[in-house]
Amino acid sequence: MRVSSVGYLIKQGASSVWKNRMMSFASFCILLVSLMLVGFSVLAGLNMSAIVSGIEDKNEIVVILYDGISEEQTDSLLVQLNSLSNVSEVKFYSREEAWASIVEDMSEEEKSFMQYAENDNPLPDTYRVKVSDLELMEITTSQIKTFGGVESVQSPTSFADALVSIRNIVALISSAVILALIIVCLVIISNTTRTSVHARRKEINIMKYVGATNTFIRVPFFIEGMIIGIVAAAGALLLTRFAYNELYSVLNDQLSLINVIGTKSLYSFDSIALPVTVCYLGAGTFIGALGTTISTGKYLKV
Amino acid sequence: MVEFKNVSVTYSSGVDALSNINLKINDGDFAFVVGSNGAGKSTLIKLILKEIDATEGTVIANGYNLRKIRRSKISKLRRTIGVVFQDFRLIPTMTVYENIAFVLRVIDAPKKYIKTRVPYVLELVGLSDKMKAYPEQLSGGEQQRVALARALVNDPKLIIADEPTGNIDPELSYDIVELLKCINECGTTILMVTHEHNLVRYFGGRVINLDGGQVVFDEEVGGSNESK
Repeated sequence: MRVSSVGYLIKQGASSVWKNRMMSFASFCILLVSLMLVGFSVLAGLNMSAIVSGIEDKNEIVVILYDGISEEQTDSLLVQLNSLSNVSEVKFYSREEAWASIVEDMSEEEKSFMQYAENDNPLPDTYRVKVSDLELMEITTSQIKTFGGVESVQSPTSFADALVSIRNIVALISSAVILALIIVCLVIISNTTRTSVHARRKEINIMKYVGATNTFIRVPFFIEGMIIGIVAAAGALLLTRFAYNELYSVLNDQLSLINVIGTKSLYSFDSIALPVTVCYLGAGTFIGALGTTISTGKYLKV
Repeated sequence: MVEFKNVSVTYSSGVDALSNINLKINDGDFAFVVGSNGAGKSTLIKLILKEIDATEGTVIANGYNLRKIRRSKISKLRRTIGVVFQDFRLIPTMTVYENIAFVLRVIDAPKKYIKTRVPYVLELVGLSDKMKAYPEQLSGGEQQRVALARALVNDPKLIIADEPTGNIDPELSYDIVELLKCINECGTTILMVTHEHNLVRYFGGRVINLDGGQVVFDEEVGGSNESK
């Protein structure tokens, strides 16, 4: 095929968007809404998982050490803790740090009173242990209890169990919703593109009669679908960005919520802009081009 | 050249559209195909264009054996045939120029050739001034002349005109057949399906009469215009 023919087919595809503007607009709207619905569901699911993970991160095992334990024993316990496969992070929290932390939250009068009691600090040295898998928290706790120098271990195992259940439910629901939305959107999009191509079946028929190959007929439809897909994806991306940022700022203003889930649990749009853009444009282009190409096939059998 | 050898067509509904047809249209012929509704005229055209397959027998069109032709070659066969339909079948979103140039683009003709060839055929059919018009802006007769220009632009061996005068004023019908006769004089084979016996009587030539899916008459007849 000549370069000029390729150029002609691309030009034909592009001009068809305008020439068949009513159907193009219908396809654009359907694609835009579909992409937004699916996109927002994915983003919501992503944030829900992040929120649960954020809450999970706040769960740590507190390992209370015996009073008067030697430095060697403390160090050897650290090595033992780090050797556990489910342990992701271990932090030493000295009795002085624990005291300072308590005093910090007190009023000035209480602080001045507490400074007299500083020498009688009753708090123990502790290790704060974070686990990578909450489901194994109970086992890890039992293992730590067997280590030398450990007086007691505090771990919120029941809360961890609840969180694991929540995380699983959130993952299941968001996957089901996303899957259902994808199916519904694909059905709607395929019907729209089919209607759009059906309206031009005579055109395809004429092309066949004058000896056009299937590729020659399909390419302009492919380009047309791709253009509509890209424009719809760009529109959906802008609307998603606007709506997401609005929602993000509203949620971030809810201090009580942020206290629970942590400031870093919600994704800002800028932090995920690149993958979201790629996914939107990719999905829009792919669905637009594929939809029209498949719909065209039916009318090529002449 | 088009040849039908013992061709029969039975549709899935059980209707026998053609029964054991034997027919040969030589290169350079001009033949009228006449017959009442359901006589098998449309089936004959569909067979030549490989839109349907013969249930029995062999059809040969422009050197292609349509029983053996590969699917990928059907577009090549159609490029050797120009078709004019009763309902014109012009692409409404394309201008007159684009509708005709499209056929040349399909055969990957050079841009320069398209630029000279399209105005030439438009001049032949007398529509040089309508190049930029869209089909809906033209009268029925003009649309049919565009369809005719489209059919002959890639210099096909055979032009099939399926009731080309069915949707236009009677006085313009004569112009259209006149044009087809002119094209035929340059060596193109013309197969014209028509209901209009007046036209056949006027122009004369080879007349193939179909009835009940069979050829009941196939002879040269003299035209009344020749006697004038």
